[in-house]
Amino acid sequence: MCGIVGYMNKSGASDRPLGSILLSMLQALGARGPDSSGVALYGHAGEGALTLRVKLGEGGDLKDRADRIRSRVERMGKVRGASVLSAYLRLIVDGVSDLNALQREVESSAPDVEVISAGHRLEIAKQVGSPDDLDRAYGIASFRGTHGIGHTRLSTESRVDLSHSQPFWAHGVPDLATVHNGHITNYHKLRRQYEMRGHRFYTENDSEIIGMYLAERMRKGDDLEEALRASIRDLDGSFSYLTATADAVGFAKDPFGLKPLIVAETDAFVAVATEEVALRRAFGTAFEALEPQPRTVRVWKLPSKAVKAA
Amino acid sequence: MNAIDCEGRTPREINREIKRQIEAGAPEVLVRNPAARHNLAVALLNPAKIVFDGSVGYYCGGMGDGPRIEVRGSAGWGLAECMMSGAVVVEKNAGNSAAASIRGGTVVIRGDAAARAGIAMKGGTLIIGGSCGYMTGFMMQKGTIILCGDAGEALGDSMYEGRIFVGGRADDLGNDAVIQEPTPEDLTEVAAALKPFDIPMPSRLKKVVAGRRLWSFDKKEWEIWKTAL
Repeated sequence: MCGIVGYMNKSGASDRPLGSILLSMLQALGARGPDSSGVALYGHAGEGALTLRVKLGEGGDLKDRADRIRSRVERMGKVRGASVLSAYLRLIVDGVSDLNALQREVESSAPDVEVISAGHRLEIAKQVGSPDDLDRAYGIASFRGTHGIGHTRLSTESRVDLSHSQPFWAHGVPDLATVHNGHITNYHKLRRQYEMRGHRFYTENDSEIIGMYLAERMRKGDDLEEALRASIRDLDGSFSYLTATADAVGFAKDPFGLKPLIVAETDAFVAVATEEVALRRAFGTAFEALEPQPRTVRVWKLPSKAVKAA
Repeated sequence: MNAIDCEGRTPREINREIKRQIEAGAPEVLVRNPAARHNLAVALLNPAKIVFDGSVGYYCGGMGDGPRIEVRGSAGWGLAECMMSGAVVVEKNAGNSAAASIRGGTVVIRGDAAARAGIAMKGGTLIIGGSCGYMTGFMMQKGTIILCGDAGEALGDSMYEGRIFVGGRADDLGNDAVIQEPTPEDLTEVAAALKPFDIPMPSRLKKVVAGRRLWSFDKKEWEIWKTAL
């Protein structure tokens, strides 16, 4: 019973009220899952710099941790900005050649420290609690950008904490994030295969594997749409999931149509949500809503001009 | 016409107000700004007309026995589920499991229907002006589905009885669903069902019914059962 949402402004202008759009959709879906909420926001890119959002841990002296992490990152690149907001340290870093090494460096500072998102445009904010709480903690309503995805969670398995909340960043891959409603029933089998290939899992949440799967497909040469299409064959269970990259939003629906997903598309925007009520809350009445058929995959890309400008 | 504005109201408050107005004798109730809320106009037992000026969410018109419901927008999952009699007409599209388990009345979707429309129908008529999704008519037991557009995968899978008329493509039939030539009586009946809703009669119709090979287990036909199960 999770709720997922996605939005893209087709013009590619990064000054749209992305945060408030996603927030209003999540508020409409809040009844589907009160356990946690989160958004993956894609804003204006800062000339090659990476933005990291780091979970500082479940307790202890977070200020001290933030300082230690910052000094570790400074050994690997130039820190152009650092701020602590609630449970997160937000860093803007230049000149990093190896994101995986940076991630390892940050996460080795304490066992419960985790890089929640990293990318040139991506920023993830998620926590236990309602979308309203999320906005109070991180002020997401004022975030402007081109596209994003969001999630409200009803936990049916695995624990309820910040790391198990969604969206999931595909660790190690800049800007790739996913949100999922459903169950991946071959998760344990796939997880064993991924672990044998050296991948680290951060949670016990089956949804985490979707981003890892897409990242691996794309490393092998698939484009996003091909990866989504392959996932319908390789992932078992019930799922509607959304994914986003620096320049695209896409979704995939399972072969049995067991999880809802409604699409609204106009010349100006595309919006996707678990229930139409979220689309009506955010966009009013001037569009038609359609539930895609099982096995449907769609990808929308920003105009290439907008990506270059950003 | 009496009107109700949904703005600021919960589905329960809206439904109570609809019932109150019908019981007060209103022949027609206009519901403004439904904004895809769930469970609207459920369990209405009077032949009043209810018009939703916008989209509705899940289970609109469910368990109805008599009302005529018009939706000037789309509908979510489980439209008119378990309806006994009356009519539900949707201007645009419907989500999964429209007209699930209806026993009577007519459900009309002028646009497309998603997966499992008409699942477990036990009577009544489902009319889809556009196309339909996966497993339409799954395990239907009685009643009629009229599909003007194309059928999705596994049409009529494991249907016991009932009829599905298809105006467009029906390339992928479900287990034990078979195509028959419609009779002249069938064509007359379909035309009569479409006429009150101004939906044009498709130029050609296929008729899909149960092949009846799954009605009773026969170990000599084990291969059929293996496929179906």
